[in-house]
Amino acid sequence: MRTRFLSILAYTGAGFTLLIAVCVPFVLIMGFSNVVAHAGLHIDATYSGGTIARTIQRSGYRIEVYQQVRPRMFERTEPFVQIVFEPADALPARVNDEIDLDGDGRADVRVSFTKPADANAKMHGDVTALNGGYVSLSNASGESFSRMVVRTGNKIVVRVPMK
Amino acid sequence: MASQSISVAPPKAFRGVGRSILLTVPMALWALLMFTPAFQKAGRDEHIGALVVIVFMTGLFFMMMRTGETYRWRRIFFVALGFLFPFGFIAALIAERGTMSIPISRMVSGDTPFCFMVTPSLILPAAFARTIIFPGSILPTASNPHSIAIMIGVWFAMTLVLGKAWCSYACFFGGIEEGFAALPKRRRLHRFVTKYGSTLRLIPWAILVFVVLVSAAIFEPVYCMWLCPFKAVTEFPAVRNVETAIQMGVFVALFVGLVVVLPYLTKKRTQCGFFCPFGAFQSLSNKINLFEIRFDRTKCVDCTLCQTSCPTVALSKDSIAEGKTLLNCMKCGACVDVCKKDAAVWHLKGTPVAVKPERARLLFLYGAWAMATMFGGSVLAGSVSTIIHWLPGM
Amino acid sequence: MAALSLSASAGEALVLGLATGPVCLATCGPVVVPWMMVQPRGLGLHSRQLLLFLAARLAGYMVFAAAVWMVGSTIPRAWVGRTWLMGGIQLLLAVGLVVYAVGWPHRRCTAARSTSRLVEIGETPRPMMSGALALGFLTGINLCPPFLVAGVRAAELEHLSAALLFFVCFFAGTAVWFLPFLSMGFVQRTPAVVTVARIVAVMLACWYGFSGVSILIERTVYG
Repeated sequence: MRTRFLSILAYTGAGFTLLIAVCVPFVLIMGFSNVVAHAGLHIDATYSGGTIARTIQRSGYRIEVYQQVRPRMFERTEPFVQIVFEPADALPARVNDEIDLDGDGRADVRVSFTKPADANAKMHGDVTALNGGYVSLSNASGESFSRMVVRTGNKIVVRVPMK
Repeated sequence: MASQSISVAPPKAFRGVGRSILLTVPMALWALLMFTPAFQKAGRDEHIGALVVIVFMTGLFFMMMRTGETYRWRRIFFVALGFLFPFGFIAALIAERGTMSIPISRMVSGDTPFCFMVTPSLILPAAFARTIIFPGSILPTASNPHSIAIMIGVWFAMTLVLGKAWCSYACFFGGIEEGFAALPKRRRLHRFVTKYGSTLRLIPWAILVFVVLVSAAIFEPVYCMWLCPFKAVTEFPAVRNVETAIQMGVFVALFVGLVVVLPYLTKKRTQCGFFCPFGAFQSLSNKINLFEIRFDRTKCVDCTLCQTSCPTVALSKDSIAEGKTLLNCMKCGACVDVCKKDAAVWHLKGTPVAVKPERARLLFLYGAWAMATMFGGSVLAGSVSTIIHWLPGM
Repeated sequence: MAALSLSASAGEALVLGLATGPVCLATCGPVVVPWMMVQPRGLGLHSRQLLLFLAARLAGYMVFAAAVWMVGSTIPRAWVGRTWLMGGIQLLLAVGLVVYAVGWPHRRCTAARSTSRLVEIGETPRPMMSGALALGFLTGINLCPPFLVAGVRAAELEHLSAALLFFVCFFAGTAVWFLPFLSMGFVQRTPAVVTVARIVAVMLACWYGFSGVSILIERTVYG
């Protein structure tokens, strides 16, 4: 009796497994994906750059200054601030901008770079720290997650390390 | 002592042609359903790729039905997947950016495609800090359709059906070492595996605990950044300093050692069985999956052929005496096919062991092959269409 | 007024400990997990071993609290000696884990006598220095940022007893996060679990060693 009952249960389970298999491509993949997408997760700031703190309008383009990213205890990243220039297509050939990063009304860094003609070409840039809280970069490209001047799509991403 | 070469029972006509075709029809229809969207696309290459895969997968399933064997036909699919996936992946990378390396600009823009192997490392940071420690994007984008949400959705849904059989029917890396393991007729390090196999198969669990703990401590996907052998045949962070150069060296060394040389020498899936932490993680799903392999102790003569044939040392003397496999069994079917006494059988949990094992095998195979066709088949179709595209004159 | 100030400091310390507990978990988890995996099964024994570990950790906290208060000023983040101390502690942790791993008996893990002076498993006629004490104390003086923040506050307090109480409360807040480790007492101990724990300990030793050396040679490798 018990054996029969367990067998019925087992075959029912197997049937459900096959039903699940059929549902996988049509329902389950998107279902589970939506759960993950709406779980309130975010990409680590080391990779994403964090959240936007303020936007500075220039003529034809804008500069997005992000919140400071400070590493957790064993995280092997310097603290940094991300600055994004977009759209890259609208930037002048040579950019030389003084930017207030902490919102105190005083410029903290000067960012200088030449926009490459080829959007896929590697680019370099300089960051000059105007106060002691930031680290200057010379001819920087993509050295690390905390020190870079790179183009991604239609944006120029600059990351300035902090002391 | 068991022979160092694998003694495989010759293929037999297990089932008549008519019945085999009948049993194959549902799988053929499934394959057609899966690849109908490909036929609706404009490209001739995609049409041919889809057609080739439909015939390929249906043909293999037919042979499984006809011969009553699982392992040899599954292996053909799996090895094809293992070698064609990197081919198609690398071809796409070269076409898009001219290199296999990922520039840091793509990592910060969230364009790194997500690989399921990093999943265990993500759990603790996601649980405690709601943070995904991977340079990808959560939602799919035009430049990165393999987003984190989609890939986790795929993995989780398929795990419900496959359990640890993911490692035999879905993982597009395991086929590489299975291919190298299949090359030689005789194994050369038989004594080494026999003596140390019981300890070696615990290493994946240790690596799993290690990467989970350290990834949570330093908020970095440790396995991806330091230990993944398959970076050597997919994509890897561009070498930009001493650290990334060392990482690249480690990836290549692990690939050559664990995926090429050791499988060739031992005829075992050494990366899968003795290293892969994701495999250990996936083993946990065997606890809830309904399908397993069991041993009829009334028929077993302890010839240890099953132990010798198991690609991942998932059988021990003690486990066979208990009539079971170990937790890391990936349900490849090698032990069942090699057993001359029909003592090793497919089993549906809750039913009596060795009573209608073929029914359990069929129920398992329909689910597993459906997943293989859907997931691996689409990868194969993409790679085949890439090959056709590149063929001269095509 | 003094009592109010003291209780306010204690409350602040408790909240600080609770808030920074996950950092402590990330710091101590890699040390605690493999060590606890080898302990014999049983909630009672597990609880005692965990308490021993935490007590040693508290001892480390008290040593630090006393030192900070007596110096009378903060230990600045830029203090060079801190780098040496952190690097040295990490190397000691690495050595401790390796000794622990190779010192575990190869025989059955339950009621086994240890061959390592740093390990005590089960009961022994004369208690030797426990691995719990060594590992707990080392993690207790590991100078992590929340620890330093607590140190800054404790140094400002009027009396040594207040500084010690501050750290007791800070410790209590962080210790709450260690309670889930008790669940490891329910995990069945088999030779396989012990072997996995050994291997994990060796791997973690390599990581701590790499981290310690990186700090000591002042070559922080950024990703």
